[in-house]
Amino acid sequence: MISIDNVTFRYQNQRGDEAALKNVSLTVEDGEFLGVIGTSGAGKTTLALAMCGVVPHEFKGDFYGAVLVDGEDTVEHAPSHFARKVGEVFQDIDSQMVASVVEDEILFGMENFGLPHEEIGARLDRVLREMGIEALRERSIASLSGGQKQKVAIAATLALEPRILVLDEPTGELDPESSREIFALLRRLCEEKGITVVIVEQKIKLLCEYAKRLIVLERGEMRFDGAPREVIAHVDTFKSLGINIPPVAELSAILREGGAYAGDVALTLPEAERMAREAMA
Amino acid sequence: MNLLSVMPGDSFLHRLNPVTKLAAAFLYGIGCILCDSIAMEVVFILLMLLISASAGLLPRALALTRRLLVLGLFMFVIQLLFVRTGAPLLSLGGVTLVTTGGLRSALLLSLRVVATMLPLMLFFAVTQMNDLCNALVKRLHLPYRYAFIITTAFRFVPLFSSEFAEIQDAQRARGVDFETKNLVRKVKLVAPLCVPLLVSSLKKVNSSAISAELRGFEMRGRESGYKEYPFGKNDALALALLVLMVALCAALL
Repeated sequence: MISIDNVTFRYQNQRGDEAALKNVSLTVEDGEFLGVIGTSGAGKTTLALAMCGVVPHEFKGDFYGAVLVDGEDTVEHAPSHFARKVGEVFQDIDSQMVASVVEDEILFGMENFGLPHEEIGARLDRVLREMGIEALRERSIASLSGGQKQKVAIAATLALEPRILVLDEPTGELDPESSREIFALLRRLCEEKGITVVIVEQKIKLLCEYAKRLIVLERGEMRFDGAPREVIAHVDTFKSLGINIPPVAELSAILREGGAYAGDVALTLPEAERMAREAMA
Repeated sequence: MNLLSVMPGDSFLHRLNPVTKLAAAFLYGIGCILCDSIAMEVVFILLMLLISASAGLLPRALALTRRLLVLGLFMFVIQLLFVRTGAPLLSLGGVTLVTTGGLRSALLLSLRVVATMLPLMLFFAVTQMNDLCNALVKRLHLPYRYAFIITTAFRFVPLFSSEFAEIQDAQRARGVDFETKNLVRKVKLVAPLCVPLLVSSLKKVNSSAISAELRGFEMRGRESGYKEYPFGKNDALALALLVLMVALCAALL
C-alpha cells in the first residue's frame, strides 16, 4: 500500500515559488489500478517519482509531508531500499537503459537481486513473450524504435515482479494496438497477481477503460479522485484544463445537458450505443 | 558509421572471452610500442587489418585506420619539425628544416600510433560492454561497482555521439550550415552545441544511475551474473601468441 500524506514538494531550482506538488494526500490500496492524468506541469511525474523515494532523494528540494510504502517512510530510506517492492518505468526511456542489448537490459535487475539461474532464465523468457519482443532479444537497444524501447523498459521492470508498478507514460511512443495490449497486460497483472499499478498517462480513453480509479492533478494539486466514470463526468472542467476526454463522454454530457439522456457518462462504444438508443427513445 | 558500436558476429574474435580480448588488444599495443622498426609497424597494421577481415570487420578497420592516419599525420608533422637528429635532409636559407632522424622518428611514431590504437578500437567492435563488465567481475574479481562505471563510460560514448548528431540536425533544420571547410568558423558553430550536449548528457547519466539504483544495483554480488564467461582453449592460444609477440618485440629492442 502507498500512503501519501499531505505532500508538498518544491524543486530546488524551480523558477518562481510554485511547488510541483501541493498538499497531495492519497492512499493506493494493494491490487489497485490507479490512473494519473493532468496537463503538462501538473506534477504527475513528480508524484510518480515520490512513490519510490526518488523524490526527494535524487531531486533536491523542499519536501513536506510523508510517503509511506507498506508503512515505510520514503524519506528515511534510500530508493534502493524499495527496489524489490516498487518497479518504476520512467518517461524518458532512453535514460533508464543501463545495457546495450535487450537481453542484458532485462537481466540487469534480476542479476542484481541475485535470483537463481533457472529463475532468471524462466522470467526472461516469460517477459519477452508477454511483451511480444522475443525477436528483439539479441538486438542492440540503440537500433530499436521508441515503442520497442518502451516495451523493453516495461519488460525489464516486470521481470523483477514488483508488488507495486509505477509507470510514467509507458505507452507514449506505442501505436494504439500495442498500447491496448500493455494496458490489458497491466490489468491482468493487477487482477490475477494482485499487483498495484499506478500509471501516468495521456491516453485517457484507455485509462477510463482499464483503470479502477483516476486522479486528476492540476498545478500540483489534486483536483479529482474517484472511479473513471465519476471523474470524467466533470466534462466542463476537463475542457477548461485543455484535457481531451473520450468523445463519447463529451457526447453524454451534451445529451444530459439537453435533457435527452439521464444515465451515467458513457466511456466505451457499447455504452455510447446504449446511450444513443435511450436518447432516441 | 559509429566507430565504437558493437558489430555482432560469430568469428574467432567474437567468441573469445571479453577479458582475453581486452588483454589481447593491450598486448598487441605493447608489442607495437616496443617495436622499433618502421617496416614492422606496417606489418602490425596489415596483420591487424587481416585479423579484422577474418571477423568480418575490414570496412570498420579501414575506416578506423583512415581516421587514425589523420592523427598520425599530426604526430608526423610535429616529429618531423622538432626531431633534429641525423643528417640534414631539407634546408631553406641555411636553416635545416628536416633531418633523416626526424623523418624516421616521424614515420615510426605516426605508424606506431595507428598500429597501437587499431586493436583497442576494434576491441569495441567485438565486445559488448555488458559482457566485459560481467567478465571483469567474474574472472578478474574486480568490484562490480568499478567494472560497471568503466564499461558504462564506454557505453555512453556512442550515445553522446548520437545525441550530438541529433543536436546538430536540429540546428541544421534551423538553417545552420556545418559543412564549412573554414576550421575557425566550424569551431564557432560547433562550440555552442556543447552546452545542450552537456546538459542532456548529465541528465541521461543521472537518470541512468537512478534507474540502476531502483533495479537493485547496490545488491549486486560477484556471483550474481546470469551468464558465465569461461576461459577456453582459444583464449589460451590467443594470449600465448600475443605474449610471444611481445617477448619477440622486447628481444629485438
